[in-house]
Amino acid sequence: MGEVTVNTEWLSDCSGCHVAIVDLHEKILNVLEAVRIQRCPVLTDIKEYPHATVGLVSGAIRNEHDRHAAEQMRKSCDIVIAWGSCAVFGGPAGAGNVHTPDEIAAAVYLENKTTIPAPPPKREVSPLESVVSPLDTVIDVDFYLPGCPPHPVFIFEALTALVAGREPEVNRRSVCAKCKRNMEKTEVTEIRSSFDGIPDPERCFLSQGYTCMGSVTIDRCLAPCPTNGVPCTGCAGATMQILTEPNRDIRTEIADRMSRLTKIDRDEIVRSLERSSKSHYSYTMATSMIGCKPTFQIKRWIEDEQADYEAGGCR
Amino acid sequence: MKRTLKIDPVTRIEGHAKVFINLDEAGALESAGLVVNELRGFEKILIGMEADRMPHVTARICGVCPTAHHLAACNALDHAAGVTPPPAALLLRELMYLGHIIHSHSLSIFVLQGPDLVLGLDADPAIRNIVGIVQANPELAKLALGLRSIGQKINEMVGGRGTHPVTSVAGGIAFVLDKEKLKALKEWVDEARGVLPQVVPAVKGLLMRALEKHPEMGEKWIVSSFGMGTVQDEAVSLISGKLRVIDETGATRLEFGIEEYDRYLRESVVDWSYMKKVQVELDGELHDYRVGPMARMNAARRFGTEMADAEYAEFARLGGAPCHATVFQTYAKLIEIVWAIERAGEILRDKAIRGETRVPVRFQGGRGVGHVEAPRGTLIHDYQIDERGIVRAANLIVATQQNYSLINRSIEQSAQSHVIDRPDDRALMNAVEFSIRCYDPCLSCATHALGRMPLEVAVRRGAETVKTLWR
Repeated sequence: MGEVTVNTEWLSDCSGCHVAIVDLHEKILNVLEAVRIQRCPVLTDIKEYPHATVGLVSGAIRNEHDRHAAEQMRKSCDIVIAWGSCAVFGGPAGAGNVHTPDEIAAAVYLENKTTIPAPPPKREVSPLESVVSPLDTVIDVDFYLPGCPPHPVFIFEALTALVAGREPEVNRRSVCAKCKRNMEKTEVTEIRSSFDGIPDPERCFLSQGYTCMGSVTIDRCLAPCPTNGVPCTGCAGATMQILTEPNRDIRTEIADRMSRLTKIDRDEIVRSLERSSKSHYSYTMATSMIGCKPTFQIKRWIEDEQADYEAGGCR
Repeated sequence: MKRTLKIDPVTRIEGHAKVFINLDEAGALESAGLVVNELRGFEKILIGMEADRMPHVTARICGVCPTAHHLAACNALDHAAGVTPPPAALLLRELMYLGHIIHSHSLSIFVLQGPDLVLGLDADPAIRNIVGIVQANPELAKLALGLRSIGQKINEMVGGRGTHPVTSVAGGIAFVLDKEKLKALKEWVDEARGVLPQVVPAVKGLLMRALEKHPEMGEKWIVSSFGMGTVQDEAVSLISGKLRVIDETGATRLEFGIEEYDRYLRESVVDWSYMKKVQVELDGELHDYRVGPMARMNAARRFGTEMADAEYAEFARLGGAPCHATVFQTYAKLIEIVWAIERAGEILRDKAIRGETRVPVRFQGGRGVGHVEAPRGTLIHDYQIDERGIVRAANLIVATQQNYSLINRSIEQSAQSHVIDRPDDRALMNAVEFSIRCYDPCLSCATHALGRMPLEVAVRRGAETVKTLWR
C-alpha cells in the first residue's frame, strides 16, 4: 500500500470515538507520521470528501444528513470501518427506536418542563429518519470496530494493520477474559439491584446476584468496569456467539450463567432482564443482529414494564 | 442581490453544525446563525432505565466532556437518595474532574483553536490543523499534547476510563486508591506543573499577537451580557456550590441552589436549529447570559490557588472585570488549567483521599437534581426516580445551549469585521469559525438535551412519602 490517507466522519454520536484517537497519547505521533489525515471535522479544516484509503465512520444514522454523509464517505474511501458501537449497533441513540421521531420532537419542544412550548424546528435542519440505523444498513462496511469508544489499543492495531496492508488482528473474547474477579458458586438466592449493598470487590458480580453483562459483551475495552468495581453495562455490544448463533441471546446467556453460580431460578433472571431491557439492550437495540433474535419483543417488554408501572404495580 | 454565505460543516469544534450569513440586496448583514443539525433524544431514551445506569449512559451524551455528565448524574443520584458520599469519594471525584478539565481545555486551546493562533486565521486550510502546529512549532505542540495527555490519564486512572469514565456511583466511588496509583498521579501532576512556566506565557503571547494582528477582535468582538457560574466561598467552584447570576456590570442579581433551576431558566425553540437557547428569567424579563470559564471568573472573586489567582489579577487588568470580550475566553480556559493542576496537587497531598469511598444507597422515590460546571459551563441533570430505582422522567440543560444567543451575536460581529465588504468574502470566513471556537461549543451535548417532566403527585403520610405518581 502506498501512502495511506484517512478520512473520518461522525454521524449521530458523542464524538468519543474521535477523542479515543487523541487518546493514543504519544502513539498518536506514530500514527500521524504513518498516515495522512485529510477530512476529519474535529481536527482539520477540509470540508470536502477527498479520496482516501481508509474511512473511519463513527455514529449511527439518525437523520438525512447522516445518510448523505455516510454515502459520501463510501464513495470517497477504499476501505470503510464502522467505528464504535453507534456505527456498528446503533448505540444509545438506537434506544430511541422505542419512540417515534414525533414523540421525541414533542418531548423536546412541546412538553419539556423548562421549555416555552413551540413547534419543532423546520428550517435549515435535516428531518429525522423514522428509525435509527447502524451504518451497514445504509452503506457497505469493510470492518467493524465496536466499543464505546473502542480502547485506543484496538484503534492503533486497526490503523497500523491497514498501513502495513494486512487485516487487523482483533480478539473474539468477552469482557470476562480481562476481568480478575473470581467466578464461584454461592448460596445467593435473590437478584440484587446495584443499590443493594456494596459488592464484594474480589468476587464475580453474577456470583453475588448482580447483573453484569461481561460474559455477553465483546472485549473492546480491556474490562475497566469490573476491574474498578462496576458491573459491565455492555457498551461494546454483543459477543460473537450472541451475534452469530440464533438461539443465544443476552438475557438467556446471563440467566444460564447466573443461575449456575447462584441459587436463583433461571426463569426469574430472564424475567428480570426483560423488565429492564431498556438498560440491558441500550447499546444494541437498533441492530437487526439483536432485533431478529428471540428478543424481537424488546419494544413490547419496555411497553409492558411502563404500563405495569403506570398501573401502580410493584415487583 | 440577496446572498447567503455558508460554512458547512463548521470544523474544529465538537459536533455537527453549519453557519449561514444572509446578506441583503445592498450586501449588508441581514441575519446570521449557527445551525445545529443533530438530535438524539436522550431524555426520552433515559426514561425506563435503571437509575444506576445514568452515570454511564449520560456520559455518552458527549465524548469530549463525558466526565461532566458522569458526575452531574452522580450528584443527582446522591440528591435523590439523600446521601452524602464520604470525604475520600468527594476528593476522588474532584480529582477525576480536574484531570478532565485539563484534558478538555487543552484540547480546546491547542487542538481546536491552536491552529488559528499559531498559523493565523488566513493560513491554508490544508495545513491549518494540529499536524500543521507540530510542523510549525514542535516544541509547543509536544508540551501541549503532553498536558492534554496528563489530564486524560488522571481522568482515566481515577475514573477507570478516560472517555466515558465509570467509577463514580450513587453514594461515592466504586474503588479505593492504592499506593502505586497515588504515586503515578503525583508524578503526572508534578510533570504538568513543570511545563506551566513555558506553556502559559506561550499561549498568552499567541493570543496577544492575534489581537495585535486583528485589533477588531479586541475592539468589536464584545458581547455584553449577564453571566452565571457556580461559586463557593466567593471562589470559582466546579462540582459543588450555589449558582450566581450577575448582570453586565458584574453585580449579583440572583443566587440559588441547583434544585431551584427550573424557577429561573427558560429554554426557547429556535426554528432553524435543533438546539434550544436558554435565558434566565428575572422579574418577569428574559436575559441572555454567558456560562463557561470566563463567566465563572466574572461571577466569582478568586480561584483560591496561588498561580491561578495571580493570573486572575492579570486577566482583570488586560480584559476588564467583568470581561465581555469573546477572545478572552481562551485566556480564562488557560487559567483554569493552571488552577486545576494546582488544586490536583492539593488533593493528592490530602490524607483523607485514602479513606472509605462509598456509602450504601436506597431510593425511596423522588426527584434528584445535580449539576457540575462542565468545561463549557453549567450542566444540569434532573431525574424522577421511582422506589424501584427506575428513571421515570429526565430533564437536562447543557452549557452550550446557554451560550447559544451569544455565539450567534459573535457570528454577526465576526462576519461584520472580517467578511462583509471585503473583496474576497471567503478569505477570512475562518474568523467566523474562530469566534465560535472561543466558546468551545459542545454540540453533541447541546442537541441531546430533551425530554419532558410530567406532573408529579406525592402521596404522603406524615413526613413519609407513601407513593409517588406521575403522568
